[in-house]
Amino acid sequence: MAMQATEQEVRGTFGERLAGFWRAASVPLMAILLAALIGAIILIISGANPIDAYAALFRGSFSNARAIGRTLEKATPLILAGLAVAFAFKGGLFNIGGQGQLLIGAIVAAALGFGLNGLPFIIHMPIALLGGALAGAFYASIAGALKAFTGAHEVITTIMLNFVAINITDFLSNGPWKDTGIVARTPAILETAAIPKWDSIPLGFFIAAAVAIIIWYLLFRTTLGFEIRTVGLNPNAAKYAGIRVARITILTMAISGLLAGMGGSIETLGVVGRFQPGFNIGLGFDGITIALLARTHPLGVIPAAILLGAMQAGSSQMQFDAKVSFEIIDVIQALILFFVSAEMIVRWILRIRGEGDGGVRLSSGWGQG
Amino acid sequence: MRKEMIVLIALIALAMISGVSMAQDCASADVLCVGLVTDVGEIDDKSFNQSAWEGVQLAASELGAQVEYIETQDAKDYLTNISLFADNGYDIIVTVGFALGEATVEAAGQYPDIKFIGVDQFQGATVDNVAGLIFPEDKSGFLAGALAGMLTQTGTIAAVLGTDLVPPVVAFKEGYEAGARYVNYDINLISTYHPGGLDVAFTDPEWGASTARQAIDLGADVVFGAGGKTGNGALIEVAGTAGLYCIGVDTDQWETVPEAHPCLVSSAMKLITPGVFDIIQSVVDGSFAGGNVIGAVGLAPFHDFEDSVPQDIKDRLESIRGLLESDAISTGYNPGG
Repeated sequence: MAMQATEQEVRGTFGERLAGFWRAASVPLMAILLAALIGAIILIISGANPIDAYAALFRGSFSNARAIGRTLEKATPLILAGLAVAFAFKGGLFNIGGQGQLLIGAIVAAALGFGLNGLPFIIHMPIALLGGALAGAFYASIAGALKAFTGAHEVITTIMLNFVAINITDFLSNGPWKDTGIVARTPAILETAAIPKWDSIPLGFFIAAAVAIIIWYLLFRTTLGFEIRTVGLNPNAAKYAGIRVARITILTMAISGLLAGMGGSIETLGVVGRFQPGFNIGLGFDGITIALLARTHPLGVIPAAILLGAMQAGSSQMQFDAKVSFEIIDVIQALILFFVSAEMIVRWILRIRGEGDGGVRLSSGWGQG
Repeated sequence: MRKEMIVLIALIALAMISGVSMAQDCASADVLCVGLVTDVGEIDDKSFNQSAWEGVQLAASELGAQVEYIETQDAKDYLTNISLFADNGYDIIVTVGFALGEATVEAAGQYPDIKFIGVDQFQGATVDNVAGLIFPEDKSGFLAGALAGMLTQTGTIAAVLGTDLVPPVVAFKEGYEAGARYVNYDINLISTYHPGGLDVAFTDPEWGASTARQAIDLGADVVFGAGGKTGNGALIEVAGTAGLYCIGVDTDQWETVPEAHPCLVSSAMKLITPGVFDIIQSVVDGSFAGGNVIGAVGLAPFHDFEDSVPQDIKDRLESIRGLLESDAISTGYNPGG
């Protein structure tokens, strides 16, 4: 019964869905535009030509197959890290531990990638990919269990588990799983575990995009998804409705960690080719930006990740052609995050300029994408 | 408002498409172009990247080279950044830091006509167009340890170090300890690596300061700070207590950490700037050869401590330097093992 109500609410007519899409997308789009404009002002003040800079950024990220490949490669772990945060949000949890889960996933994928011999690609690659993802799921479920059984807040525990993960991976890559030689890193994965590229287009991107669609389906089309969202909206009501909240909390964290762990897996198997400390820094935290920019919608995560991925992929070209330091990318990214979070400012600008638009919804919480 | 917005977006898009690419004369054989790719970090890091860039700038003023650098943001972009220079016809590409070693050799295979200089990149197998500029950090650390061992009054000295994930840091530490024992066999050594990952190990001055403080409380009166900003934090902390000595690393830190002047007796240096310049010079005069090029190491001048360091210590350091250079004494550091 409850299921049917949600489906109707979600589906609606085509016109309603379009209006709903605009409502959801207008703030992020405006935030990006405002951030780009302020970024342009900063560029002018620092003596650079913003048009040259943005043009170089665009050339470096979309102008040819190699550039597009780079953009998609950067976007892939961002999709999964963003999904991890967005998914936990739907269940009312704020998973700041994406970075740690991603690291654990990356190193386990590497270990399976170099450690398992004699398997064909069709078995070896999926085992390494899923092994890393499951390791991330296990790692995140520690925080989920602590929350469910002791009430320890997941923000605190996931942040602390990030540090534990950094030290575990540093130890393993400089200890038991260390490659021969002096560099702290694991051996290279075997050919049979590598996620291939089609020309310069990384196939890992399509895995990530498919996972985003699966997560969307899980959340909005299954009973489990309904339970997760109900717990996210009001755990007490969910409990009275007969949902086992503790079980859902652990499961939500586990799936969130599965996604982050898979992000680490794909980095190892598709990009880096081994685990090396320092190669996966910041991805988990970018995931928070992506999730907010996507307004926690699983499908919104894909364009949000491509945008940030493009900015990262093009930043070297921008440095080279326009003599602009890459730090401007961080500034623009931070501004986007600021404007998405400070939704009221953007809505105010939209309403002032957009007369006749009628009722602007001022209230909107996370999880209502 | 929608219309204005569409016009604005169209204008931006138009500007992007028509974006003029920079005029590059590097494709011409007459112009010597030298590009530098940093490790993750900034060009003005008062350390590696900066020292190497100064060597490249020397090539600009002495040899009339056109020079440019790219700061790397993500360790996965090494090859991309090298390719940017290569595809624009640069003649020499300098890559800074041992982490770029693999990408440099890979690029060298793709661009056989370009000469590569890899700072801190040991060449296991010789590649014709790659010169790895390496430094015996253990010898540099050995000199610092010998100095510390002769200066200490309490018989306890300390080292505050970046992470053991980075081989040169380990070499500095092993050399430092061996040097101290060489002059004072019974010396008490307190060496501490930063426990965090690569993302924080070199950028944690607070940890450096508190670790140096702990060592001082345990009786250390000479502290060697080797680990970027982490080590600098240790130097500055030591400077706050009168009568103690500190020793810097990589470059002459008298120039880079003025807050440490009260204690900074010297620095264990790697002479990166002249090393990079000399290899660029060798490309110009045709004597360039692939493989390892061993750069010079040494102690920085004593500066304000010139008069307070006794002459017999200076003499002994000089003799140790000679013995190290001729391999008459070994630091005992064996990276392969």
